Amino acid sequence: MSDVKKSAAEKAAEIIQNYDGPPIRIMEVCGTHTHDIFRLGIRNLLPENIRLISGPGCPVCVTPVGYIDEAVWLALEKGCTLCTFGDLIKVPGTEMSLAGARAKGAKVDMVYSPVDAVEYAEAHPDEQVVFLAVGFETTTPASCVAVRKAKEKGLSNFSLLVANKTMDNAYLALKSSADAFLYPGHVSVLTGMGVYERLRDEHGMSGVVCGFTGPEILTALAVIIRGLEKGEPFCANAYPRVVTEEGSPEGRALIAETMEPVDTEWRGLGVIPQSGLKLRDEFAAFDARKKFDVPNMEGRANPACRCGEVLQGKIRPDQCPCFGKACVPEHPVGACMVSDEGACSAFYMYGGEQL
Amino acid sequence: MNETITLAHGSGGRQTNELIASLFKKYFDNDLLTADDAAVLPRPEGRLSMSTDGFIVSPAEFPGGNIGKLSICGTVNDIACMGAKPLYLTCGFVIEEGFETARLERIVEAMAKTCKEVGVKIVAGDTKVAGKGQVDGVFITTTGIGVIPDDVNVGGACAKPGDCIIVSGDVGRHGCTILLERNEFKIKADVTSDCAPLSSAVDALMGVTHDLHVVRDATRGGVGTVLYEIADQAGVGIELNDRDIPVDETVQGVCDMLGLNPLYLACEGRLVIVAPSEYAEDLVKALRTSPYGEKAAVIGQVTESNPGKVVMKTSIGTKTILPLPGGELLPRIC
Repeated sequence: MSDVKKSAAEKAAEIIQNYDGPPIRIMEVCGTHTHDIFRLGIRNLLPENIRLISGPGCPVCVTPVGYIDEAVWLALEKGCTLCTFGDLIKVPGTEMSLAGARAKGAKVDMVYSPVDAVEYAEAHPDEQVVFLAVGFETTTPASCVAVRKAKEKGLSNFSLLVANKTMDNAYLALKSSADAFLYPGHVSVLTGMGVYERLRDEHGMSGVVCGFTGPEILTALAVIIRGLEKGEPFCANAYPRVVTEEGSPEGRALIAETMEPVDTEWRGLGVIPQSGLKLRDEFAAFDARKKFDVPNMEGRANPACRCGEVLQGKIRPDQCPCFGKACVPEHPVGACMVSDEGACSAFYMYGGEQL
Repeated sequence: MNETITLAHGSGGRQTNELIASLFKKYFDNDLLTADDAAVLPRPEGRLSMSTDGFIVSPAEFPGGNIGKLSICGTVNDIACMGAKPLYLTCGFVIEEGFETARLERIVEAMAKTCKEVGVKIVAGDTKVAGKGQVDGVFITTTGIGVIPDDVNVGGACAKPGDCIIVSGDVGRHGCTILLERNEFKIKADVTSDCAPLSSAVDALMGVTHDLHVVRDATRGGVGTVLYEIADQAGVGIELNDRDIPVDETVQGVCDMLGLNPLYLACEGRLVIVAPSEYAEDLVKALRTSPYGEKAAVIGQVTESNPGKVVMKTSIGTKTILPLPGGELLPRIC
């Protein structure tokens, strides 16, 4: 770390620690931020009148129970091979998680990229391979590339169970949950700043795009504090080494040409209009729901789990009756305890707010 | 010799003798290794340290070593960590039918080379061949005995507030190497296992002082797990300085990609030392001039506060708990 950067971080830390204005709530909407904020002990720096809320930015955490049920059904009833990101394997469904399905004989393979799933399908023509496509703007392009690749290769044994989500409308649903947002660094690489300018101009919402190092997070928090002090809605890019004003128009075009917006359910938050994606009709043959005629699954979460309130910042993770008792990372009750990036998991692993 | 190992090689007959003569005897030969049922050893002076360990690593050969080298290092290091000088080893092989003889020879050769480096003798051995599919390649168990100097008393419960914590090199390389070799994540990176015998490093430490409190070999679970064990055994807190922990750049890069913490990746040639802080500088200096210790560093200290916990001082000056590792990081790592 250079001395110049260090002193900027120190200045930012001072602004944060010396804040003595009215109470403010800042929501980080990216799971990586949640994890890094705990890992770096940033909560221990905050004065009492600044509250950080871990929002719904971990793809695993917002995946509804019904989605897991659909995947389990495809594996157990249709004998499909599921290819998935590792985080999803332990997420509880209504009856069981994917790990539970695997114990009952389901074939569940962990992949690191959707394209790996296409390669797997190509190498195993006797298996029906379904990739569990979850995630935000960061992972959606890779799923689009995968489905296009499968089409190019003429694969008839590959499909996607799509639950990809977009953040734009989710911000609106979360408007009352926070005074300002730490906007996600990786997602913004694709979206650029346009979405945040619209949120500011049309909805009076404020936030700062934030990177992932200690100095970057401290700087973004300091910019938020200064912005809120001025009292006008604002947005700023505190991650300019990676995020550009225009983002990635090519990436956005790839998504728009492959998928289209749809109303979708977020675990704990309910249905948010036009916040999800589904495959366009020309890729219908790769849509697992159509291909296997997947029945509508409502999905029932454990009623004691209060992930939804955690994700909206209404309660702290340790205020949920399950937290640390029935619900721990080894056997999670709710999705927020599953991934390292989930609010409850991070809170649990790092021993709460204070040392 | 046949090109592959067959069930006959484990039957106790002519082919077993052939295998012993052409491979084990050839590489392990010493005055105490005889054809009798058991070894006869001279009476040692002082307290003994004894340890046993099974090795089932997959893959059996990896950059920086193989299961043979690992099987000697593992047991030698366990003994050395009690402050003992390793003297004798025994080894038991379970080999899968069809295992390539040339591969077995590479493994045995690595064992002999490591024994020679340490100055330890293999005094007895056993070979079994299991049917195809009953084991994966080759499994090795080694047992060792060493002698402890009279004034040495190390153990996890001996850590005291104020002690310094030292690691003998950069952390997590063995775990990272195995992870990359399995290629489940399709990441290509140039990482070599830290697999190494550490008896000379312990000798170097003993040359500074016999008043060492804890010496541990950070294998499965890595340095982080060892530190939690020490915090628990001694009822003390442990405070680490994030920026002082030596981590190879490539290892850190792989960990960042996969969301892993190098403190929880296995090492096979790294010591964690807890000692009175007045020796800190000399111990690090001694390690740095011993083999495999060039990156030795003081990484933290033992505290009275936060008993049972490992606390991390972060790069931005805050303190956080080092989270306990969750579940199974990697099976069959050693």
